[in-house]
Amino acid sequence: MHNSSFSRRSFLGTTAAASAFAAADMTGLDLLARPAQAAAMKKQQKSVILLWLAGGASQLETFDPKPGRATGGPYRSIPTSVPGVHFSELMPKMAARFGKSTAVIRSLNTKIADHGGGATLMSLGRRDEPSVRYPDLGAVIARELGQADAQVPDYVSFYAQTEGRGSAVGQSGFLGARYLPMFLTDKSKPDNLARLDVVNDLDHRERAELRDLLSKRFAAGRDNAAVGSHNQAYARVRGLMSSEKLFDIEQEPQKMRDRYGPTQFGQQALIARRLVEAGVPFVKVGRGWWDSHGENFETHLELVTELDHVMSTLLDDLAERGLLENTLVVTLSEFGRTPRINASLGRDHFASAWSCSLSGCRVKPGAVWGKTDDDGQTVKDGEVGAAGLFATIYDALGIDATKEYHVGPRPIPIVDGFASPVTSILA
Amino acid sequence: MLKRDALLRFVAVATLAGALPFGGVESTRANNNVSSSTAAAPVAALKKLEPAERPIAAVIDLYIDQKLAAAKVKPAPPADDANLLRRIMLDLVGRVPTPLEVKEFVESKAANKTELLVDRLIASEAFVDHQVNEFDWLLNEGKGTLRPYLADAFRERYGWDRIFRDLILAEGASKDDKKAAGHEAVEFLKPRMKDHDRLTNDVSSLFFGVNISCAQCHDHPLAKDWKQDHFYGLKSFFARTYENGGFVGERDYGLVNYLTPAGESRQAKLMFLTGHTPDEPQRDEPDNKAKKAEQEMLKKLADKKQAPPKPSFSRRQLLVNTALSNGQRDVFARSIVNRLWARFFGQGIVSPVDQMHSANPPSHPELLAWLARDMADHNFDLPRLMRGLVLSKAYGRDSRWTAGERPAPELFAVAQVRPLSPHQYAASMRIATADPEMWSKLADEKTRMQRATSLAGSARSWASSFAPLTDNFQIGVGESLLLANDARIWSEFLSDAGDRLVGRMKTLKTPQEQAETAITTVLGRPADAEETKLLAEYMTARKDRALEAARQVVWSLLTSSEFRFNY
Repeated sequence: MHNSSFSRRSFLGTTAAASAFAAADMTGLDLLARPAQAAAMKKQQKSVILLWLAGGASQLETFDPKPGRATGGPYRSIPTSVPGVHFSELMPKMAARFGKSTAVIRSLNTKIADHGGGATLMSLGRRDEPSVRYPDLGAVIARELGQADAQVPDYVSFYAQTEGRGSAVGQSGFLGARYLPMFLTDKSKPDNLARLDVVNDLDHRERAELRDLLSKRFAAGRDNAAVGSHNQAYARVRGLMSSEKLFDIEQEPQKMRDRYGPTQFGQQALIARRLVEAGVPFVKVGRGWWDSHGENFETHLELVTELDHVMSTLLDDLAERGLLENTLVVTLSEFGRTPRINASLGRDHFASAWSCSLSGCRVKPGAVWGKTDDDGQTVKDGEVGAAGLFATIYDALGIDATKEYHVGPRPIPIVDGFASPVTSILA
Repeated sequence: MLKRDALLRFVAVATLAGALPFGGVESTRANNNVSSSTAAAPVAALKKLEPAERPIAAVIDLYIDQKLAAAKVKPAPPADDANLLRRIMLDLVGRVPTPLEVKEFVESKAANKTELLVDRLIASEAFVDHQVNEFDWLLNEGKGTLRPYLADAFRERYGWDRIFRDLILAEGASKDDKKAAGHEAVEFLKPRMKDHDRLTNDVSSLFFGVNISCAQCHDHPLAKDWKQDHFYGLKSFFARTYENGGFVGERDYGLVNYLTPAGESRQAKLMFLTGHTPDEPQRDEPDNKAKKAEQEMLKKLADKKQAPPKPSFSRRQLLVNTALSNGQRDVFARSIVNRLWARFFGQGIVSPVDQMHSANPPSHPELLAWLARDMADHNFDLPRLMRGLVLSKAYGRDSRWTAGERPAPELFAVAQVRPLSPHQYAASMRIATADPEMWSKLADEKTRMQRATSLAGSARSWASSFAPLTDNFQIGVGESLLLANDARIWSEFLSDAGDRLVGRMKTLKTPQEQAETAITTVLGRPADAEETKLLAEYMTARKDRALEAARQVVWSLLTSSEFRFNY
C-alpha cells in the first residue's frame, strides 16, 4: 500500500482497510506492461470480436456466391482452401484461410428485413418485446465472461459513423447499467478516461480513497445491491483509466498499423485486438454502410475487399499471438441482400436466406452449415434463426446455452425459445 | 410472435434459480407458488377494514405494526430529524434541504413540525415540478412531451382518475385547435398509437398494475387470472384508435382476431381485466367501398389539418367508464396506491408493481384495500395519499439495521436505501454546492424556497447524464467516470466562485471549519468528530494547494453513497 497522508484506522480496522484497498492498489496496473498477467488472462479469458457489417452485406458477394445464375451478378467464385467450398472472388484472402479457423453458416432465415428491426433482432437474438428490456449480445457476454471488479471495460462498442445512431444498438436491458457498452462515437477513445490536468494524479487517487471511506461508513448496516454497484463503479475508475492506452493506436508499431491498413475499420479492428489481448470480453467494430439498393457491385467491390483484408489480418494477428483459440470473431449483418438484382443494379433487403461466419475459439475450421437453393432465394437445408446463431455463439464460448435469467418471477432463457446451437460447426 | 414453444419459456417457477453472480437479475419471489385470494375478489377474504375516517398515517402504522408483531420483529428506531427532513424533501420536492432548512427543522420545538413541513412542501411549486418529473418518467419514459399537461394536472390538483381519463381519451386532441386546453394529454397516446399491443400492455401495467404481455401468446403461465381473452379483450378497447394528421381518431367499427397456441382463430370480445364484459352497440363492418371513401375523407382532413370525426360510439370512452365504475375501479385504485407506496418505500405492498395478480398476493392485504378505498373515496387525490405515506412512522424509520440479518423488505421494519433519480441527483448537487451562507441573506422562507427551486431547475440538463431508475437499479462506470473526469462537472460543481460552497470554504480559516462546513452543506446533517478529523487531516496535508484540497473534499462528499442515495 502506498503512503497515505491520512489515517484510515479512524474509520476501519486495519484488516478491513487492507482488503478495502486491494483494488485501489491495482490502479496503476498497465495490463500490457505485465506479460505474466496478460498470459494468464489469455489462458482463461474467452472474448468475442463482432465485425458488424451495418446496412446488410450481400451473401452473394461474400460467403455464398451463385456464379452463372441470373441472381449471381458479375463476380466469379473462387475455390477456398477447403475442397468443394467456394467464396466470392472478392474474398481471396479469406478463401485462402478458410480451412484455418473459420466456419460459415449459409442458412440464416431471420425474417425481419428493415434496418431497425433487423439490427435489434440480430443484436438481441430475439424479437424485441414491449414488456421486457432485453440485453444485447455484448451485455450478455460481458455478464457471463466479465469479472465483477475488472480493471478493463467489459463491453466496448465502436459505432460506424454511417451506421446511424438509432440502429447502433447497445443495451444492457434487465442486466442493468453495469453491462452497458463503453460506446465510442466519433472519437477512438472513450469519454472521461483521461484525468483532468487540474487534478494531479496523487489527489485524484486519494480523493477516491476519501470517497470510499465515507461511502463504506455509510454502507454499514445498509446492505443494498444498488449501493454495492455504486462503490464498484468507483472502484473501477482507476483501472479503466489505465486502459486508456489500450485505445491508443500510437502504441502499436507502425508496421502493425500498416498491416491492418489505413481505414477506420482496420484501425478499430487493431484496437479490438489490443482490447481482447488485455482481457476485454466483448468488442463490437461496426463498418457501414452496406445498404446497396443501387450500384451493389461497386459498393461490394470496395467494402468486401476491405472486409477480406481486415478480417484476414485480424485472424492472422490473433493466431500469431495465441489469442485465436480463445477469441471468437463473428462477422454479421442485420440481414443479407436480395438475390434479385434491381433496376439500379442494386440488391435490396433480404432476411430469408443469408450468411454469416464464425472464426476462432471452438469453431471447426472450414465447416459449412446449411444450404440455399441454386438462385439463393430460399434456405434448402439447415435453417438457422437469430436464436440458433446466438446459441452457437454461447456454446463456442463455453456459456451454457440453456441457462435462464429471471426478471421478477419470470424466467427468461438466455437463448430465445431454447433454440439449439449448430454443434456440427463446433469442434 | 405466436409460438408453440412460447409455453416452454415458462417452465416451472418452482425451479427459480438462486442468486446470480453479481446481483441484479435474481429471483427473490419465493412466495410465488403460494396461491391465495384472487385479485378479482380480494375483499371477500379480508378482515373487516379499519374505519374510513381514520387518518391515513395511523392506519398504515396499525397494519404494519400488526404484521411486525406477528413476525416478532422489532422495527428500527425513527430516523433523526435531519435524516427525515432529507428523505421527505427528496420525495416531495426532489432535492436535498439547504443547511438553513436543516437547522430550522432540527431546532424547531413544534410538536407538529413534520406535518407543517409536509403541508408547506405539498403547497409549493417545487412539489409540482418534482411530480411532473416523476410522472413524466412513469408514463412517458421521461420524453418531456407530457410535461405541460402534467404541470397543469398537479397545479390544479387533478385526481388520478381525471388524469387517466384525459390521457386515454385525449379529447383536447380531437379538436381542431392544437392549442386547446388539454391538447398535450395526447402525448401519452401518440407515441403508442402505431403499436396497439404495446399500448394495451402499457395501459394495463401503468393503470391496472398488470403486465399482461405474457397473455398475448397464451394464457398467463403464473396467474390463472389472465387469459388470452383478457389481453385481446383489453386490446379491443384500443383497436379502433388511429392517428390522422397528428390527431387521434377512433372508428366505430373494427374487431380483433387472434390465434390460440393451438392455432385456432378467435374473435376477441371486449373484456376488462376483471373479466367484466361491458355491452356495446352492435355495428356491422362497412364494405370495402365505404372503407375506401373513409380513407379518402381522412386524407383530406389530414391535408386540411382538421380533426377526424368523432365515432358514434367510443370504445376508449367505454374503457374509462368501465375502469372507473363502482365494482370495477378497485383494480385502478389499488394500482396507483401500490405504485406510490413503492416509490416512497422502495418496495410495493405488491411487488413487482406490475404483477398484481392472485399468484402474487400483497404483503398487507387489508392495508392495500383500505388505502385503495380511501383513494377512491377522495377523488383519487394523489397529494393526499403522499401526505399520509410520509407522515407514517413506517416511512420515518432509520435505514440502518445492525442487529443481525436485515428483515424481509415487505415487513417495512427498516427504511430502504433508494437511489436518487437523475433529476433528484442533479438538483441536489446544485443545492449542495451553493454557498451555505446565502440562504440566511434571503428575506423570507418563500423567497428561499423559490431560489432553491430555481437553482435546482438550473441543473436539470445534468439529469440526462445519469441512468434512469429501473428495477434492480445499478450504477455503471459511465457515471463514476463522468464524475471523476468530466471538465464540466469540475467547473459546475467545484467552482470557487463567491456563491458556491468551495468559494465559501476559501474564506474559512481552519481546515476544521472547512471540513465541517463541507459536511453539513453537502450531507445536510451535523458533522461528526471522526469524519471532520479525517477531512481536516486531508486538507492539512495539502496546505500548499488548499483550494484544490477543498474541491476534492467536496467531490468526495458529492460522490459518496450517502449523497447518491435517499436513505
